[in-house]
Amino acid sequence: MASRTRRRGPAKGAPDGSRRRRVPMRLLLPSLVLVALMAMLMLRGYVHSEILADYRIRPAAANDKVPQEILKGGPVIDTRDGSASTLRVPDNSVVLTFDDGPDPEWTPKVLDALKRNEAHAVFFITGTMASRYPDLVQRMVDEGHEIGLHTFNHPDLSYQSKKRIDWELSQNQLALAGAVGIRSSLFRPPYSSKSVNMDNNSWPVTEYIGSRGYITIVNDTDSEDWRKPGVDQIIRNSTPKSGQGAIVLMHDSGGDRQQTVQALDKLIPQLKGKGYEFQNLTEALDAPSAHTEVTGLELWKGKAWVFLVDASDNITAILVVGLAAIGSLVIGRFGLMLLLSAVHARRTRRRDFVWGPNAPVTEPASVLVPAYNEAKCIESTVRSLMRSEYPIEIIVIDDGSSDGTARIVEGLGLPNVRVIRQLNAGKPAALNRGLANARYDLIVMMDGDTVFEPSTVRELVQPFADPRVGAVAGNAKVGNKDTLIGAWQHIEYVMGFNLDRRMYDVLQCMPTIPGAVGAFRRSALERVGGMSDDTLAEDTDITMAIHRDGWRVVYAEKARAWTEAPESVQQLWSQRYRWSYGTMQAIWKHRRALVDRGPSGRFGRVGLPLVSLFMVLAPLLAPLIDVFLIYGLVFGPTEKTILAWFGVLAIQAACAAYAFVLDRERLTPLISLPLQQILYRQLMYVVLLQSWITALTGGRLRWQKLRRKGGVSAPPTVPTQRRQVMDERPVR
Amino acid sequence: MNPPSYDPSLYGPSMTTGAATGAAAGASAAAVPTAGPVLDATATAPAPTPPTDPAKPEQATRPAPARDRYFDLLRALALFRVVLYHLTGWAWLPLVFPSMGVMFALAGNLMARSLKRPPVQVIRSRIRRLLPPLWLLGVVGVTGMVIQGWGPDADGHPGWWWIHLAYWIVPLSDPPYAEGLPGIHGFIGENWAVDLAGPLWYIRAYLWYVLLSPFLLKALRAMPLVTLLAPLALSAAFNFGYLTLPGERVPSALTDFSTFGACWILGMAHQEGILRRIPRYVVPSVAPIFAAVGLWYALNNDFGEGNDLDSMPMAQALWSFGTVMLLLHLSPSWSEWPRRLRRWDRVITLLNSRAVTIYLWHNTCILIAATMWDQLWGIDVMWMHFSWLLESPWPVLAFTWVLIGSCIVWFGWAEDLAAKRRPQVWPDGARKRRTHAR
Repeated sequence: MASRTRRRGPAKGAPDGSRRRRVPMRLLLPSLVLVALMAMLMLRGYVHSEILADYRIRPAAANDKVPQEILKGGPVIDTRDGSASTLRVPDNSVVLTFDDGPDPEWTPKVLDALKRNEAHAVFFITGTMASRYPDLVQRMVDEGHEIGLHTFNHPDLSYQSKKRIDWELSQNQLALAGAVGIRSSLFRPPYSSKSVNMDNNSWPVTEYIGSRGYITIVNDTDSEDWRKPGVDQIIRNSTPKSGQGAIVLMHDSGGDRQQTVQALDKLIPQLKGKGYEFQNLTEALDAPSAHTEVTGLELWKGKAWVFLVDASDNITAILVVGLAAIGSLVIGRFGLMLLLSAVHARRTRRRDFVWGPNAPVTEPASVLVPAYNEAKCIESTVRSLMRSEYPIEIIVIDDGSSDGTARIVEGLGLPNVRVIRQLNAGKPAALNRGLANARYDLIVMMDGDTVFEPSTVRELVQPFADPRVGAVAGNAKVGNKDTLIGAWQHIEYVMGFNLDRRMYDVLQCMPTIPGAVGAFRRSALERVGGMSDDTLAEDTDITMAIHRDGWRVVYAEKARAWTEAPESVQQLWSQRYRWSYGTMQAIWKHRRALVDRGPSGRFGRVGLPLVSLFMVLAPLLAPLIDVFLIYGLVFGPTEKTILAWFGVLAIQAACAAYAFVLDRERLTPLISLPLQQILYRQLMYVVLLQSWITALTGGRLRWQKLRRKGGVSAPPTVPTQRRQVMDERPVR
Repeated sequence: MNPPSYDPSLYGPSMTTGAATGAAAGASAAAVPTAGPVLDATATAPAPTPPTDPAKPEQATRPAPARDRYFDLLRALALFRVVLYHLTGWAWLPLVFPSMGVMFALAGNLMARSLKRPPVQVIRSRIRRLLPPLWLLGVVGVTGMVIQGWGPDADGHPGWWWIHLAYWIVPLSDPPYAEGLPGIHGFIGENWAVDLAGPLWYIRAYLWYVLLSPFLLKALRAMPLVTLLAPLALSAAFNFGYLTLPGERVPSALTDFSTFGACWILGMAHQEGILRRIPRYVVPSVAPIFAAVGLWYALNNDFGEGNDLDSMPMAQALWSFGTVMLLLHLSPSWSEWPRRLRRWDRVITLLNSRAVTIYLWHNTCILIAATMWDQLWGIDVMWMHFSWLLESPWPVLAFTWVLIGSCIVWFGWAEDLAAKRRPQVWPDGARKRRTHAR
């Protein structure tokens, strides 16, 4: 994102009393949004068996503890009253059972086949699938089939605690209640087979489930359709011994069930021909239905559950689209930046490069220094200007400072320096006053906390050799980059000035001339009516206005200015909040450019959308990267997630390194890049989110004065003075 | 072990006459008039001693730089964490606070500070302050072992047994101990000598660090980065099997050296101001990477109870290095306690002034406390209705600290003796405060 620097204006806006209420809100709302997103993702991971899933299957064990009547008995096991009894379906009756569904693709086909052949069956559904496809469960019930439970997410229950078994059952019932408003008393344990295969591990589970009031249903014949053995084999596997009744195990979920559906269409007519009936379980046993209606709170809990699962699926789908969008936006932006900044650097660094027909520019310039309580910095600022290699006059406009800023400057007794005092009226007013008092036609604007190099002004005005150029952006650099937060801003500034600004220069839609170092043609300023206090970002506002007036705005990379970046999170927060909110205001103010004709329309249709996309919309989607990072770390695939994250980091590191090389900066601060991705980026988008909230709720913004330390007193290119800068910092 | 030693007289800025002497400062401080009978006011300063060291008469007249309470807090936390961890065995505790790394870093820091004096003198005073508490443990421990039947025939080489016994006097290698002792029913569990000797690796490692410190410091000044990273490289070489050494004593010494050497050198680097010379963003950017690599390695190698950082020296080395670097980076240099911590002053002071004693005896205390607590299982009412209480580590922890308190009373004087100051029973600084209040 483009960086710029700007000094604070006077306090205005909401009275101080509102501070107490606002501070939590700005944290609360964004974090609520994030927590809600995260919760939805968790829910999705949960019903997609990405959490709590347990794929262990217990190998067969001894069965000496299983009662003989069970091992030799029928597939309907009733242990509800503590005893163990079994039932078989009567002869000439087949109960088809389908496990693991409902499945969005195959369950409807199975249901169609059953309908075609006028057969009823039992569906043992899992809670996860039922939560996701409640309509299919409804259809099963509507078409006369019976529902049984098959746990929530299909673990081998012999590995699970009683608590977990209870939970599996109740969650499964919840999903069923939400889908159709019923409970079921039928249960089939996952990985079960026939009664004879009951062993010492599975029997206690069966007993326990009986004690919870469920009838356990295993099977007589296993179609083994999950092996996809071919239609004929499935039919052979399913067919009971002649004349006997049977419970047949099939699956309507968990893979390609084409063979199962085909087998049904053959098996049912074939057996019906032999006199078999296809009923659901309680019909076959001539027992009361296993379904009971759920009412009241339970019903609503179920419905809420199903609704939430549905919502989480939808939201996740939207988030994935958002992630794809932000991903391609980020990568695309980096690609574009690398390309265009390379173009720009090549163009402006050619040996025979000249800005325009009037080169070199030598006419003197007026330097405007608006200052509001800059007592700590103003002397270094003015003294740095005195070293300028270019003919200038210096106008310090004191905007009603209370710390004697003006007196300090006057006390210096320097030639060529004028001090103008005004009552506190804000930075735009101060700049306009300075403009009115300026003698020359080239106007350089800087902040009271910024230090110029001797060549800065000369480099800054050179582009005016081209009469079409109305304004020039300089290269603002962070002077205090020793701390972590300073290093992060340094990276941000170097990238913002060497990639973003070059790109915008080539695309001719530079959104902002930084307040710390910029130059204007007086005629351009006067044509657009000077600075305005309509927005909090008067520099963005004026830049857009100058664009719309048909001027070109360019970037002069060699015009370096050293500025003091905020050193606390609080200060950084308020600075960035103003920038992002001011940018939004400026975009809104100039929205008409979209439909204008001529240069204004060109800026409106190319520049504004680009700026909105990169500076306002893209950061809004950026949290998705972190949301999915956490999701991926927690629910897997963990390694791929980490790799992807490092991939993105590598791209950013490469871009940053390129920017540093372009600016001939040392690469060492880049070691703070990984941490920047974990701590700093999030801060930035929370600030942006807060601006959005402010914009949407129409809140007003208060100014806060950056507490100056006076740490930047000279460009670091001057070695001896650099030392001095370092020494001023109190040792930890 | 010097971090432990602590001078109660040094916490206030009002310290004046001769207070900086520190018995250990020895010859160089001889010119300073000592404060007469009030030995405790002069004493204790760690051999390396207060910043004023080497004390010169004219320095004694202006307020001495105060003791860094932040380091005291770290040391106290480290000790508390060590005891808690040895009691519970929770694998995540060393991740929360890297006690051993902190202890070695603080010791390295003080060592570098003392090394402004002649190395031989510093090493001698350091060893003299370290060993008497160990000897006391040896007298009690070895006597107990011998009473329970440990003798020259224990491992079949009587000659070696006698020679190895010398490691109890100068622990250049691990002091020997008896295995499989029966214990005393209801008082101390069986095989207690293993627990008693368990913490001694620290003393041995510390001794070696002290002996090597003059060289380490020279190397650090000449090649800071290489010296800092060398122990980590050594650790990695051991871990990946590039380096295998025969025997048991040498590899175990070298492993410990490589595991915490980086922390020790880090402490020296902090004292030397090397960490302050680099831009401030470097440490917070780099340290998490080391820690993360260590953590990643641990998590990918079945990290869990019984297989924690202690069993993975390289992961331990990386995690400790990273976290200790961050802790040193934060280092706020408190000359006075922040308001919130003020109420802990006496506890922390006590832990600091008896750190060696606490460290040497805590494992035995844990074993005794646990054995005695387990006696409660014999009471029907207890195990039938309060088994949760019997299984809980917290009462045992409280009991352990009571026992440690009694060890401070019974054995703590050895530290004072080693520092050539008047023995104190309960050096929590309270007495000194009264002196000041006068």
